Order: sequence, then C-alpha cells, then structure tokens
Amino acid sequence: MPSEDAVGTATAPVVPGPGAGPARHRPRVELRSLPGLTAGVIALVVVLAAPALLPGFKLDYLETAISFAVAALSLNLLVGQTGQLSIAHAAFLGVGSVVAVELGSRGLAWPLVFLGAMLATAVAVAVVGVPSLRIRGLQVAIGTLVFQAFAIDLANSTGVLAATRSFNRPGYLQSSGHIYYLSLAVLALVAFLLRRTRTTRAGRSFVAVRDVEARAAAFGINAGRTKLLAYALSGALVGLGGALFAFQQNSLGSAVPFGLQPSLLLIAVVVVGGARSSAGIVIASFFIYALPSLAPSGLSKYIQVVFALFLILAVLFQPEGIGGVLKDLDRRLGDLVAGERERPNPRPMPTDPVEKAHSATALRQVPRPLAGRLPVPALLSARDVTVQYGGVQALQQLNLEVRRGEIVGLIGANGAGKSTFFNAVSGLAPVRGSIRYRDRELTTAPPASRSGAGLVRTFQDMGLVRADTVRENLLLSQGWLARYPAAAGILGLAGTLPTEKELRRRADMALDLFGLDHLAEERLGDLPYGTMRIVEIAAAVAAGPDMLLLDEASAGLTPEEANQLGYRFNALRDELSLTLVIIEHHVPLIARVCDYCYCLESGRLIAEGTPAEVVAEPDVIESFLGAGSLKPARGSA
Amino acid sequence: MTAARSGTNPLLEVDRLCSGYGTLQVLFDVSLTVGPGEVVALMGSNGAGKTTTLRTITGLLKTMSGTVRLDGHSITGQPPEALVPQGLVMVPEGRGMLRELTVQENLELGAFTNSDRASVARLMDQTFTTFPILAERRQQKAGTLSGGQQQMLALGRALMAAPRLMLVDEASLGLSPIMTETAFNLIAEVNNTTGAAVLIVEQNVLALDLAHRAYVLEKGQIVATAEGAEVRRMQGRLREAYLGAGH
Amino acid sequence: MIGSEIVTGLTIGAGYSLLAVGVVLVYTSTRVLSLALGEMGAFGFYLGVKFNLHGVPLLGWHLSAFEAGITAILVGALLGLLVERFIMRPLTARPGIDKLIVTLGVALVLALVELNFISFDPYPAPPFLGSGHFVLLGATLTTSRIAELVAAAAAAVVLYLILNRTKLGLATRATTSDPTVARLLGVKVNNVYRFAWVTAGGLAGLAGALVSNTNGVLLPFSLTTALLSSLAGAVVGGLDSLGGAIAGCLLLGVVQNLAQPYGIAYESGITLVIVLVVLLVRPQGVFGRSSAF
Repeated sequence: MPSEDAVGTATAPVVPGPGAGPARHRPRVELRSLPGLTAGVIALVVVLAAPALLPGFKLDYLETAISFAVAALSLNLLVGQTGQLSIAHAAFLGVGSVVAVELGSRGLAWPLVFLGAMLATAVAVAVVGVPSLRIRGLQVAIGTLVFQAFAIDLANSTGVLAATRSFNRPGYLQSSGHIYYLSLAVLALVAFLLRRTRTTRAGRSFVAVRDVEARAAAFGINAGRTKLLAYALSGALVGLGGALFAFQQNSLGSAVPFGLQPSLLLIAVVVVGGARSSAGIVIASFFIYALPSLAPSGLSKYIQVVFALFLILAVLFQPEGIGGVLKDLDRRLGDLVAGERERPNPRPMPTDPVEKAHSATALRQVPRPLAGRLPVPALLSARDVTVQYGGVQALQQLNLEVRRGEIVGLIGANGAGKSTFFNAVSGLAPVRGSIRYRDRELTTAPPASRSGAGLVRTFQDMGLVRADTVRENLLLSQGWLARYPAAAGILGLAGTLPTEKELRRRADMALDLFGLDHLAEERLGDLPYGTMRIVEIAAAVAAGPDMLLLDEASAGLTPEEANQLGYRFNALRDELSLTLVIIEHHVPLIARVCDYCYCLESGRLIAEGTPAEVVAEPDVIESFLGAGSLKPARGSA
Repeated sequence: MTAARSGTNPLLEVDRLCSGYGTLQVLFDVSLTVGPGEVVALMGSNGAGKTTTLRTITGLLKTMSGTVRLDGHSITGQPPEALVPQGLVMVPEGRGMLRELTVQENLELGAFTNSDRASVARLMDQTFTTFPILAERRQQKAGTLSGGQQQMLALGRALMAAPRLMLVDEASLGLSPIMTETAFNLIAEVNNTTGAAVLIVEQNVLALDLAHRAYVLEKGQIVATAEGAEVRRMQGRLREAYLGAGH
Repeated sequence: MIGSEIVTGLTIGAGYSLLAVGVVLVYTSTRVLSLALGEMGAFGFYLGVKFNLHGVPLLGWHLSAFEAGITAILVGALLGLLVERFIMRPLTARPGIDKLIVTLGVALVLALVELNFISFDPYPAPPFLGSGHFVLLGATLTTSRIAELVAAAAAAVVLYLILNRTKLGLATRATTSDPTVARLLGVKVNNVYRFAWVTAGGLAGLAGALVSNTNGVLLPFSLTTALLSSLAGAVVGGLDSLGGAIAGCLLLGVVQNLAQPYGIAYESGITLVIVLVVLLVRPQGVFGRSSAF
C-alpha cells in the first residue's frame, strides 16, 4: 500500500526518508567490502603460489580437488538453484572422463576433447532428467540413483576404464604446474559462468522453478523445459569437470572415483559448502578431497566421517553452509570497519503518479506482435467456462467479458471461484469452454505464453520468490521480454547484455513508480506483508501488461487503506492504459473504481452490471453478506 | 439460544496474544474471552489475522507473547493434540476433510482420544441422529461428499470429541447462501443441544445472527467488541463497511 | 526352465520388497523419501557380524549367526528411532529436498563408519537362518531366499492389518491424508512418525541380514544398492501404495533375473529404462495415487 500522502496531493514533493539517498551510502559501501576483498586477495595469492609452496606430488591432490569442485558447482546448479537432486554426479563426472579419454586417445586436440566431453555428458544428464518434464516432485532423483548403479556396472563390464587408454596431453601442458593452472582456469571459468547464469533469464527461471514451480508459468516460464535446461547445463559443466579429471590423470583405470560414495560426497560438498556460495563449495571441496591426502594418514578416515556428519548438521543447523558462515563473517567485519549498516525503511515511499508519467509511458513501450487495433470490443471474453477438480465444480458455465481500458471487478464470498477464474485465464487450471483474449483462443495456448501476450496476474498469497531481492523479482516477472537463448545469456553474447540492461531499467522504473526504489536490494521475504503485495503489483507492471489480473490486492489492509488502494488502480489504468480485472472483498472499493462488475457464488455467475446495480441485487447481498441481512434479525438478541 | 453468562468465569481466555510467521508478526495483543455455552463471533476480512488467531490458540503456530487459558489454566503453546482431550476442538478452514478416509473413519477419528468404546458408540449414534445423511454415506470416501455434506461431517466429527469449546474457521467457505445458513443453523443447534461454547471465525456477517458476543479483527488487532444488542448494530456497521453506505 | 527363472526372480523381488515396504511406510506417513533405510539395515548386521567374529567388546562373548541377525533388526529399529527423533522431526517444515538429502547423509555417515571403523575389507555374511536348499517349481532356492519371500509376505500382511484394523493404523492413515487435521483431531503425529521409522528400520535390519546372506558378503553401500532396486520397484508400482510397491519389486526381480545371463549392465540398464519410462508416462506409478512430494 502506498502511503496515503501520495494520493490526491499532486504537488507534494517526494520526500526521501532518512538514509534513503544512495549517495550517503557510497563511501561506506567501499569500506564495508574491505575485509572480504582482503580475504579474497590473500586466498588468490595463496592459490596461485601453491605450486611453489607445495612439493609436486601433493599438487595432484589439489588438482583432483579442483575437478570435484567443478562437479560440485555443477551439482549446485541443480540442487541449490533449481531444487532438483542428482545422486549420480560422480557417475556423470565419469561419463565426461571416459568420453574425454576416448576422444583424446584418438588424437583429437584437447580443447575439442573438452567440448566433446561436455556435450556428451550434457546429453546423458538430460536423458536421465527427462522425467522432470512431467514430475513436480523429487522422484527424478531415484532415476539418477539407478543411473549411478547402471554406470558403474557398465564401466566394470565393458572395460572403458582400462588404463591402457590415455588422454594424450599435449607436450606444452605436461608439467604438474601447468596442469594445476589449467585446472584453476577451468574452475574460475565455471564459477564465472554460474555467476553469470544467476543474472540471466535462465538463472531466474531456475530459482522460480525451485520456489514457485506451480506458478512459474505466470512469469512466462515453462517449468519442465527449464528443469531440463538445468540438467543439461549441469551436465555440460560436470562433463567439463570430467574432462579435466581425465586430463589430470591422463588415464583412468578404476571406477572408484565415480561410484555411489563419491556421488554422495558431492552432495555433502554442496550442502556443507552452502548452496548460495561458490566460494563455500570450493572450500568444502578442498576439505574433503585435498585435506585427507595432505593430512597425516591416520587422520583421513576421521576427516571423511566428520565431513559426512557435517552434511547432517548443516541441513539441521546451518542450511547456508560455509558460504553462510563466510557471509555472516563478512557482514560483521564490514560492520566493524564501517559501522552498522542502516536499513532502509521497509515501506514504499510516497510517490506521485502524475510526476511519474514518464516512467509509466516508458513501461508501456514493449514490442508485442499482437499489438494493433482490435477487431472486437472485448479484450477478454469467457464463454461457458467450467473448471472441475475431482467431484467439485469450481466454476460452472461462466460467461464474462472485459473490454479494453476497463476496470472490472470480480466479487463473491470466499470459495466462490474467483481465483479459479484467474487460474483458468493464466492456464493454471483445467478448463472446459472457451476463453478468448484479443480474439485468440487462450485455452489451447501454453500457460507460459500468456504474460508475453500481455496477460499478467498476481496471486492472493504472493507468487514471487521470497529468497530473492525485490529487483530480482522484477527481472523475473519480465521473463517474456528476455527472449535470448539461455546459452547466449550465460556467455554474455551480443544482444543479451543490452537486453538485461533494458530489463533492469524497466525494473527500476517500475520500482520508482511504486515508491519502492530504495528497497531494490532488499530480500523480498524480509519486507512487511503489505509492502510485498505492492512489490508484486510492481513486478506485474514491469512485465508490460495490457491486462492486469489482481487477486485480492487489498487483503490484509484496513477498509480505509483498501479505499486508498483504489487511487492506485485508477492511476494504473489512466497512466499506463491498462485494463484491470480485480478480485476484491471491499465492496466500497469496487463501487468506486470499477466500470463493470461480476458476482460469483459457488462457481456460478449470479449477477453482473455496474457496481451500483450489482450491489443492489438481492442475490448478491444474500450471497455476499448472508441472507440474514435482508431478513429481520433472528434470535433473541 | 442460551444467553451469554457474563457472571461466570470464562471458558477460554486469550490475553494479549501476539504471533506470526517467522519474523513477520501478524497478531498484535489480541485479547478475547468465550464463556461456557456462549457463541462468540470473531469477524474480519481476508488477511485480518482470523485464522492466525485460531492457529495460535490451538498451538499450530508459536506464540510470540501473551497467554491462552482454558478454564483458568494456561494452555499457551500446548500442541493441538493435547487440547482435544481437554474439550477444545477446532474445525479448520476448508472443513479439514480426510478425503481418502470414509465418513465413518473420519467420525471415529473425531473420538480418537476417547478410549471408551461404549461412549464412542453412543456419540456416533447421536451424530448420526443429528446428521442422518452421514449415516447413509458412512462407507463413502469423505472427498466425494458435496460441500454441504462435508460441512456436516466436519461438525459431526467435532461433536464426536464431546467438546466444551468448538473453534470454527470460516464455515461459510465455498458454500451457497442457503448452505451457509444451514451451516450456521447447525452450529446454533449444536450449541443449543450440547451446550458446547463456540468461537466462530467469519467474514460473513450472517454469523453475527448466532453470536452472543462479537469481536472485529483488523490488521491483527481487535478494533471493536459488541455484546447483546450491540451485536446487531455491529452487524449493520460491518455490512456498511463491506457493501458501502445504503445497505 | 523359464518357470524356475521366474520363481527365482520373484524371490529376488521379495528381497527388494522387504526394504520397499519400509520405504512406502515412511513415505506415506511422513512424506519423506528415505534413502537411509538400506544402510540403516546393513549397519546393524555389520555390528552383529563383528560381534559374531570378534566378540562383543568388553563382554567378550560371541554372538551366534542368528543373534547377529537379531542384532541387525534391533539396531535398525533403534536407528529408526534416533533418526526420526533427532534428524527428521526438526526438519518437519523444511522442503522435501532437504529431507531427502539428510537421509542420504545418514546413509553416507553409516557407510563411512562401516568402512573406516568396522571393517575395511568386505565381511563374510554368516548364514543367519542356517544354510540349506529347497527346490521350488524347478528353482533351487537357498534358505535365505525362502526367508526373504516369507518375511516380505508376512511384513506386508501384518502391516496391511495394522493400517486397516487398528487405531494406530487409523491414526497413520489420517496423518497420511493431512497431518494438521490429524493433530486437530488429537492424533499424536509424532507417534505415527516414530512407528513408521522404527518399523521401517527393523524391517531394514531384517532385510540387511537376509540380503547379505544371499549376496554372501557385506559391503558398505551393498544394502543401499539393494535399496535402489527397492526404490525402483516402489516408483514403478507407486510410492504411496503398499501393494503397488511390492508388485513393482516382484516385477523388477523377475525382469532383472531374466536379464542376468546377458551381464550385470543389462540388469541395471533395463531397471533404468523401466524407471525412466514409468516416471515419464505415469509419474505416480502404476498403482500410485499422487505424484507430488
């Protein structure tokens, strides 16, 4: 809810609250990051100087650790980012290694060998991940576990791991030091690519699938394809790790590194390292793969067991793992050198819709193939729409129509079918009948295509990713505007960077429009509920809709505040030329802002007309307020 | 309908209750009482914190501060399974059907904490007398019942626990006006015949027809209370707030 | 000939279903897919065999093979109790992937303890119920195979009766349907969870002893590998259906046994294909109801 002051006082200046100006923070931000920066530089120097510090033979263990760190990072793409679990990542590493040795022994140039291994492993992982197209749960993990067993059986019975085959390293990359630096370079590349992924459409889709899979379609995301992409991408990266491992070893000889136990250890590495932190995962890899070899021999068996125990303890007590500890440490040290960070006021700042007219116009400028004059006056029309869940008809033969530029209200008691209608329109409910939007049939169109067609909705109980920042959520909602291929985005190829920049600009304009700009970097889940609801509307607006479906935007507000929200609706319609369909319980709000109004009861339409007409209907009063309101009061009171 | 007894000690006493989800506080110092045999309505719009209040009273949600007393003894933070034997039963929002179980099994579970077979059989007979349709459908899966029948099963199942206090969360959810009225009548009847007190949580102002006393919840705070004849005036005010002036 | 192959396959499947019954019980009542059950069963038998070979520490007496088997059952049940109380219960409200991962963590810890602190080399598995052979429909079956078949059938029947004829069963089914509603009706869901984990742990111990007997040796992760076939069978039949999971395991046992002459990679390869196809075509399994977890 925007602050009341904003409304109706067109000349009121926007007064930033204390600590809201970014300029005041800038010098502190740099001081704050000093401890983290120092630690990073020291770590880098130590890592680069390792060949000089360690006797040659022990460098091998570090190299192995790096290969497994690459595998763990690629596993984290599934576990941490997408919420999928592979219990076969060591086997997939093995696939990459075997393919690399096969190709290398045939004399292929080593960069091509690496590419080949990546491609082959991507295919293998994607094949095992194919059921994720249909499954929302974690059963896919069982498929990977079965693959793990199959891969080992296959390796043992075919002899592909025979030590007689070798990678054939080129002459200029034979020395231990060279291999070490190549490994480091691969690790850095993988970490960099994963970091880039996070800031592209693919990365945002992964997180959306993890946290709000059932609603991902509302952001233009096809959940099944997104998961398959995650499997393939993870496969390519673990294949790279496998090729690196083969390069380091030159020949394989044993299935031991690719067995079930290493697969489980990789999961432990991801969890103990922390799903949100590549640095944490690399550190954890070092502990489990390099430390036992560098430590006295009697100690190594304890290290393994302790590390496995850490897996359980981390899930129980430190879900963000080493990465979380590092972040906490960084924050505390930052506070120590720079003083405690002021947190911005978590509520939207007052804004003036008229002054922000420029942002509003700019947000409207989206390329849409369907744009143009409409052949019919109705923008959205539902004919005989029925939705059935089991034995219950949630919607029965519903007919309604929404015209361009209208604000249409949908009222009715809880459970009357209002949200079900939104689900039908956005493709989240099984529909019989016809829903036409811009004179095209919507029911046969894929759910993920609807935000691109200009139909954007909010959810009654929030459809956004609470673990992400406000701005990330606004980027997520613009999914359909980021039309570049996933790989191009991750590699930062031509066109993708300007697109991302444009999305960011749009996100910032939408935040500005709703007085949320000072909260852009805050984690959504940390904000008050009312502010989250405004963020959700802002995210919907950022997607450049023609028609906005708002599900109980006023829930949790007092009747008075709900009334104020009405001004916001009017502004959205007038400044952004939007068509609005709003589900509301506050009838005074409906009466004031709506052009037309439909009332549902038990899945059926019982009245339609102007708000005044509808609210006057006896059926509506009875449905909405109970029959008692028309009859003389019963009872003895 | 039994009249409110203002003189007796309250059966349920909620004192400055605060709670919420994680760090998000939803309830702020909610205080209310329900006397023995009383019907009390807790009104409020979606998101006002009604369900949160019930979930905190029954221990499904952690209490941040404040106390809940039953018969003068603190039950703050006790889990729901410990409250049923003490006579406090909740009918959850959406009626809480165990859909894969039969009507009879649902009813048996209502008396789960009662180990006296004879008394369970007696309660079952009583329930079937009150809701004959349930007797007809005793072998049917609860998920296949209609909305109205499910509401009856939910109430019947609560009665199987021989409760002293029933917390009913939005009995009107998804029901047609006629069914809603029927549901409210059933609640009034249960209150009349068994003497069980009822805390009914609603946004439908019709619920005020059965209430001896009422509270209005807004943004997690009690903003109005009414008793006796005032309940009627509160109903008028709420109707106006929902529907706008002129109704 | 084919008849005896099928009979042998069915006994293999019965071994799988002994673990699958526990998986289904834990899954239906707690919505947790437990990948720890195999190692929980093996761990008890590891201890039993250690006490059989080297005597009980401090006390010095040696367990008989039978007592080693009993140890496996008791330790499995005890591990079930501990895992439920101290690991799974605090995670009740967490996402399914966290719970799945933590069960893998339990398996990993137990396997590493077996490897590093009990025996680095494979243990011989002493015949738990004596050694002998029976001929059934042309198939020669060892005592342990027959025992697997009998134990699986008994476990399934007893569990079916508990679930459908007792108050504990009613509570379990109520918890499966909706744990919050069950609590509001007075069901102590934690007791249901404990019942599920302890029963599954005990059954896993029994499976650990029997399956190891059949295999002849006891290795870290050997029971997790057996669990994998149980899981595959449960996925095929339906994770939330006791009968379905058993049917899936029996089917898988027969198919694997028929593929066996072609090599081990064919056995696991056909399992993989079946699992992937079922997950893609009917994710909830042939007899399952819900595919979400």
